[in-house]
Amino acid sequence: MLEIKNLHVKLEDGDRVILKGLSLTVPKGEVHAIMGPNGSGKSTLAYVLAGRDGYEVTEGDILWNGESILDMEPDERAAKGVFLAFQYPMEIPGVAGLTFLRTALNSVRKKRGETELTTPAFMKIVKEKGQKLNINVDMLKRPVNVGFSGGEKKRSEILQMALLEPTLCVLDETDSGLDIDALRVVAEGVNALRDKDRAFLVITHYQRLLNYIVPDKVHVLADGRIQKTGGKELALELEKSGYADYTGKAA
Amino acid sequence: MNVAVMKSKAEQALTEAFEAVAAKLPGSAAVKARRAEAIGAFGSLGLPHRRIEEWKYTDLRANLKEALPPAIHDETPLTIAELIVALGPLAHVDAYRVTFVNGRHRAALDDISEASGLDVATLGKTLASAPSNVADALTKSDANGAIAALNAAFMTDGAIVRVADKATLAKPLLVVFVRAGSGKHSVTVRNFVSIGKNATATIIEAHVVLPGAAADAQSNALTEVTVGKAATLHHAKVAVDEGRCVHLADWDVSLDADATYRGFQFSTGLGLARNEINVLYTGRGGKLDLSGAYMARGNEHIDTTLVVDHAVPACESRELFKGVLDGHGRGIFQGKIIVQPDAQKTDGKQMSQALMLSEDAEFDSKPELEIFADDVVCGHGATSAELDPDMLFYCRSRGIPESEARALMIESFIGEAIDKVEHPEVRAALMAFAKNWLAGSTRG
Repeated sequence: MLEIKNLHVKLEDGDRVILKGLSLTVPKGEVHAIMGPNGSGKSTLAYVLAGRDGYEVTEGDILWNGESILDMEPDERAAKGVFLAFQYPMEIPGVAGLTFLRTALNSVRKKRGETELTTPAFMKIVKEKGQKLNINVDMLKRPVNVGFSGGEKKRSEILQMALLEPTLCVLDETDSGLDIDALRVVAEGVNALRDKDRAFLVITHYQRLLNYIVPDKVHVLADGRIQKTGGKELALELEKSGYADYTGKAA
Repeated sequence: MNVAVMKSKAEQALTEAFEAVAAKLPGSAAVKARRAEAIGAFGSLGLPHRRIEEWKYTDLRANLKEALPPAIHDETPLTIAELIVALGPLAHVDAYRVTFVNGRHRAALDDISEASGLDVATLGKTLASAPSNVADALTKSDANGAIAALNAAFMTDGAIVRVADKATLAKPLLVVFVRAGSGKHSVTVRNFVSIGKNATATIIEAHVVLPGAAADAQSNALTEVTVGKAATLHHAKVAVDEGRCVHLADWDVSLDADATYRGFQFSTGLGLARNEINVLYTGRGGKLDLSGAYMARGNEHIDTTLVVDHAVPACESRELFKGVLDGHGRGIFQGKIIVQPDAQKTDGKQMSQALMLSEDAEFDSKPELEIFADDVVCGHGATSAELDPDMLFYCRSRGIPESEARALMIESFIGEAIDKVEHPEVRAALMAFAKNWLAGSTRG
């Protein structure tokens, strides 16, 4: 279970406060969506969960399975099952996709007390999981994400997620830059990972993604706080009326 | 400006060292006369210093504090097992081999008996019996200057390699210069490489050290290369030492019509290095691919200075040099491309990149294009950057620990240059050297 308790976050440089007492609970096996206007703190929440530098938590805590993750390095969090699918996945020139995936998977396995995979065993898994996402091995021989289309980058994120088998999946604007076909492939990849032991936090600006990844709950984030929580119908409501009610309230 | 300067301690010592060892240096009477001329030339030139434009960033007069005594008739023992240790990852390359220890040929460590199309003589023996015209050829070089003059004065040995017309060497030729023993000294060698028409060869020049050798050392290595018509030479230099060695090196390459030359230089652990490469095209259609990788930490200083002279039309040149700089490490890249008035249809591209791992590292890059023809395509670029924190975070968010993520990114940076080496075993050896360097990084 993910428990975010009264989280206050400011940027390390300067005084800008972004999250102002955000509280949220996502039990295992559930998919929660976070929707909100631009600048509401959605991406900050995603980065703070993954442990990116540049943010300072001034108050509150984040517990994953009862354990605070705030003092953990990003790679320790990954080993504990935290995974962030990036809004803008990084390109890493010179590092072949397969090398990257294998290094990541074996690092995580080592930390989880599992044995490292041999090359044939690794290749078998990559081929199998890649196939479902229309990612072939040739694509993974190329440097990580270099020259990939928006859709290819997002599919490659989901492949990483499928390989690392995280238990907390945070998807940051996974729908941005995707056409409808790419969106469907990505959503199918995500849905295939839905599991009673896995929690999802799906961050999005638009309701469209939630037609494909149907959430158990929807939270509205505005001005650094959860303003409203409801069922999946809340997303449709927002699509119709926009965020004006919430930004107005915030101002 | 003609200012009388006092000789530095090292300049004085070099002149005195010559007086002391001249009689013992190999050479016929003609060679001895050329050596005396060379030290005379050095005496008037002195060590290059920062007021000479080409030496602006590598002030030898200021930085070469002392001149170590030349190694002459060195007999430091070296076993095959020790040679393998000194070669490190290069020992895994299946190659013909010519071996020099402290600047002296060791036939017992050679392995060239089976090589067909390959003829290897040694400079030491050749000098001993050289008549006047041969003495001229062996002592003169395209590189005029103080370092070449010192090389002519002090050279003790080296490989004279000839690959026959139309021959294709079955294996690479490894020319190894091993530094061994506790004596502090300077080693001066000169090689000649001549590739016959339509021949193909891979030659690796390795300057390596046996662990336990004196920390301080100086080497001056000059290699003259002629690539014949439509011939191909893959040429690599590996200079790997333990952080204090002064390495002054020069390659002088000339390419005949339709010749292909792929040169690569790898340097780590050099206290003060100057790697010069001069390339001259003498026939149309020559193709040059020159690249290199260097890694420096501590107070190491690695200078790569190229001059590519497009003297004839329709030749192509490509350069890619990459450096990784940590601590107070300093990298210098000077690349001059000259396109002579007749050299129409020249196609030249140059790139020099440095990855800075520390606030105190320094990278100086000076590309120079001198273009006198009008129908040419020439370009150059230089970048210096730190490891991208966003990329590091991306790797770490996938569970890769920081040290591994850094290593992965540094390897990928330097690997892009090493990938230019076509021979797979040589490429693997260079990548292994780079990984060794990373494993010893204080930031690992």
